[in-house]
Amino acid sequence: MTQTPEKVISLPSILDKPVNDIEKYLVNNDCNLLLDFINCNFITVDGIEWLEEILVRANSKSIKIMFANIQPDIYKVFKISRIEVILKVCGATQNFAPFC
Amino acid sequence: MVSSLEKSEINLHNKANFLARQARLASAVFIQYSQAQVDKIVKAMTIAAIESAQLLAQKAYSETRMGVVEDKILKNLVASEFLYNQVKDKPTVGEINILVDENIVEIAEPLGVILALTPVTNPTSTVIFKSIACAKTRNSIIFSPHLMAADSSNLAAKILYDAAIANGAPKGFISWIEKSPRLRRQTEILMTHSDIDLIFATGGTQMVKAAHSSGKPALGVGSGNTPVYIHKSADIKPTVNDIIISKTFDNGTECPSEQTLIIDVEIAPAIIAEFKHLGCYICQDNEIEMLANIVVDSRSRSMNYKLVGQSAVFIANQAGFNVPENTKILLCELKGNIQQHKLIVEKLMPVLGYVTVDNLNNGINRALDVNYAGGTGHTSGIFAKDEQVIKLFTNSINAGRIIVNSPTSIGGLGGMYNNLNTTLSFGCGTGGGNITTDNVGIKNLLNIKRQPQRKNFSVSFKTTKQIYSNPGSLSYLKELAIKNPFIISSHNAMKRGFINQVIEKLPPLVLPTIFAEINNEPDWSCVEKALAKIKQANCDSIIAIGGGSVIDLAKIVRLFYDHPNLNLSEIAISFLDFRHRMCEFPEALTTKLIAIPTTSGTGSEVTPFAVLKDNSKHLKLSLIDETLLPDVAIIDANLTLSLPQNITKDTAFDALTHSLEALVSTFSSDYTDGLALEAMRLIIEALPKVLIEPTNIIYRHKLHNAATLAGMAIGNASVGLNHAMAHSFGAVFDIPHGLANSVFLLTTLAYNSQIPNKFMAQSNYPQWIADLKYVRAFEYLGLYPELKISVDYTNESFETRQKLILALRQKIYDFARVCNQPLSIEELGIAFADYEKHIPSLVQATFMDMSLRTNPGYPFMKDIYNLYIDAYPKRKRP
Repeated sequence: MTQTPEKVISLPSILDKPVNDIEKYLVNNDCNLLLDFINCNFITVDGIEWLEEILVRANSKSIKIMFANIQPDIYKVFKISRIEVILKVCGATQNFAPFC
Repeated sequence: MVSSLEKSEINLHNKANFLARQARLASAVFIQYSQAQVDKIVKAMTIAAIESAQLLAQKAYSETRMGVVEDKILKNLVASEFLYNQVKDKPTVGEINILVDENIVEIAEPLGVILALTPVTNPTSTVIFKSIACAKTRNSIIFSPHLMAADSSNLAAKILYDAAIANGAPKGFISWIEKSPRLRRQTEILMTHSDIDLIFATGGTQMVKAAHSSGKPALGVGSGNTPVYIHKSADIKPTVNDIIISKTFDNGTECPSEQTLIIDVEIAPAIIAEFKHLGCYICQDNEIEMLANIVVDSRSRSMNYKLVGQSAVFIANQAGFNVPENTKILLCELKGNIQQHKLIVEKLMPVLGYVTVDNLNNGINRALDVNYAGGTGHTSGIFAKDEQVIKLFTNSINAGRIIVNSPTSIGGLGGMYNNLNTTLSFGCGTGGGNITTDNVGIKNLLNIKRQPQRKNFSVSFKTTKQIYSNPGSLSYLKELAIKNPFIISSHNAMKRGFINQVIEKLPPLVLPTIFAEINNEPDWSCVEKALAKIKQANCDSIIAIGGGSVIDLAKIVRLFYDHPNLNLSEIAISFLDFRHRMCEFPEALTTKLIAIPTTSGTGSEVTPFAVLKDNSKHLKLSLIDETLLPDVAIIDANLTLSLPQNITKDTAFDALTHSLEALVSTFSSDYTDGLALEAMRLIIEALPKVLIEPTNIIYRHKLHNAATLAGMAIGNASVGLNHAMAHSFGAVFDIPHGLANSVFLLTTLAYNSQIPNKFMAQSNYPQWIADLKYVRAFEYLGLYPELKISVDYTNESFETRQKLILALRQKIYDFARVCNQPLSIEELGIAFADYEKHIPSLVQATFMDMSLRTNPGYPFMKDIYNLYIDAYPKRKRP
């Protein structure tokens, strides 16, 4: 497996449900994916849970999913949600909850 | 094998994890919501609550059998409609407040996930209140209901959640723990769950204590025990009416409700009669005993929870006596020592204690007895017309809410009788083990981020209003509109004939009083002598002729002559912030001060400083305020022609130090820079010539002007490290001030031209530019030809700047040598051993000297120590 993404998929402005392209891709392929957040400016609870789910599924298939162009509002949602697999894709290694 | 108990525990943890996770995701998503989205959700929730108010009240009553359905409806409406009206226009998203005067912007940030404990007494209204408040502040909330009221509480949560979701709220932002025998355990698990950000505990003391013990931030409430003082100035009928409304509200389940009345004896019979007239029952002594036995639990000495929210008739029956049907309240006189009476405790039921008192002090003291019997920080009440009485009561009582001339229960809720925040959670401050005394509301459910704008100080420049500068300008005295001046001078000035010169120049018929008893360094006794004399002569002005000490003394004498009640120790305080000094000087002085310097050094004639020796502490007191500025300065170089050579040199080096330090001061400005640079140039030009030809009036004039220009510079920019060291050193070794300055000059110049170990924190000094300022001095003094290079100081490298500064230091060295001025401690003839033993105390004194506050670098004490060491050996050319 290389680190280079073979497929770049742009996410919608509101991520509130599964993105079919990605679903299909995960079923039919085993190469890396880059999710482009450039247009995504709102994410719902369902959207977060779906992201978590596809990351878990991708991990089980050894597919690497990467994120790009995350806007601060969305990045903050990830930080607050403390979902481990999502934060790992964002580069975190541990301490997903804030600590002082 | 896993036991069933362990399975149950695992199951509880799983449930807790599920609740916490969905709340966390919702709180994360909620952060994206705009104010408009939030307000739409809040409005929908409020409407749902209003529409369900009756259903929820009935459900609460049928489940708990506490209170009164009709009042519970009202509570539900207060928690929804009243709350909505209070918060609907309040911003809770993004910038919520701009503090114009403070230049601070406040930005709201949600708290996150809140675990909310709700009580059995207000099971639905509390849920309504907390749900709406959390929606308004974009927080997620998990309800932990009271086991005895879980169904009604959870129904309220579901109704509001459904309305919120239908209007776009994030999934899972309201959730609740289902009713089960393990509800308490599940609450405990959640209390320490990593995803819970805050516990918002309204309920029994044990639960609130558990919340505070969880290690999480907690908004708790304390128990109440509301004393209500009825002063003799109160209106009897409205008072009794209000108390009945309040105490019967939901059968007394509201914790701010009245618990014990303290009634002035003058009106007690009328008050009791009015209660009786309106349907309350006045219990006899034996009935009070019977009531106390069932109302108060004998073991815990607190109220019997089985009677909370029950009717007066029911409670009387339980106690073993009958009262008329529809009796509203059972009134019990608490005879004897009230503090030992069983019924002094909180009674969330229509049982009301009362005592009579014979004066105001006893009234407030008995109220304090009730207040401190389990109700500190909560609520108190007073009925009185006398504002003074209300003030006294308010100052004495320890309560977050002091309800005046209104019902304490509904008054405490806020919104109906007053403008307190509508709440179902009453903060009790530390008196109740809480962090706030607020009526807890949306403000308590936000993290407020504050973004202060950097202060931009306007640079002010102040100096003496009238300055007359030229040889012979002493003749200006003739134009003064004064009648009986007080001439302050020194023995030396008297000998040099200055006082006679002044008298000759005064207008005809002016009768001066002379005070020429000043030695080198005047102290307070000298001020007192001068004050006695000036008061006796009733002078209208002061003419100070002499060196810096004379002019400084005159400033202080004028201050205390005009304001005899001032306290020296209160105005001679060291301070850090030159703009907001803690010493308060009078705004204006009426006695005119004319300052005539006879030395060319201190610049005191144009500075707001005055120094006075404190003989008792062996230190110098510094007074600093623009009020001290003289009104007139006469800079007449004729008065310096006879100045001895050593004083001429020392004072000139004082002025040179002023100019060098003002130039790099953190308070320097373009205004002071110009003055400092020109002063420096004049001194370097004039002093050598004056030393060769002391009576050369042209160069004496330049030197005299230089001192005044440098004085104006330090009067607005202050000085720095060199002065701090010179003050300390001079005081210990009794060295004249100018001479003390000169021995540190090359040491501090080298130190301040280096990037400091620690920069001076000054909001008006955006960057360290001391080295650039020294380069500017190098340029202004025209030292390029000596260096034979050309450099644009704004662009050259740090290394180049250091070369130019080295040239400046060499120039100062050469100048001092030409003037035969000592440049080190050793050159003063002080033995190193004697010097060294004083260095630790010199370091301490230097560090505390106010002059240091405007130095461009903030030296560590070890730096100052090294500087003292550096200043000792005979100076070599840098």
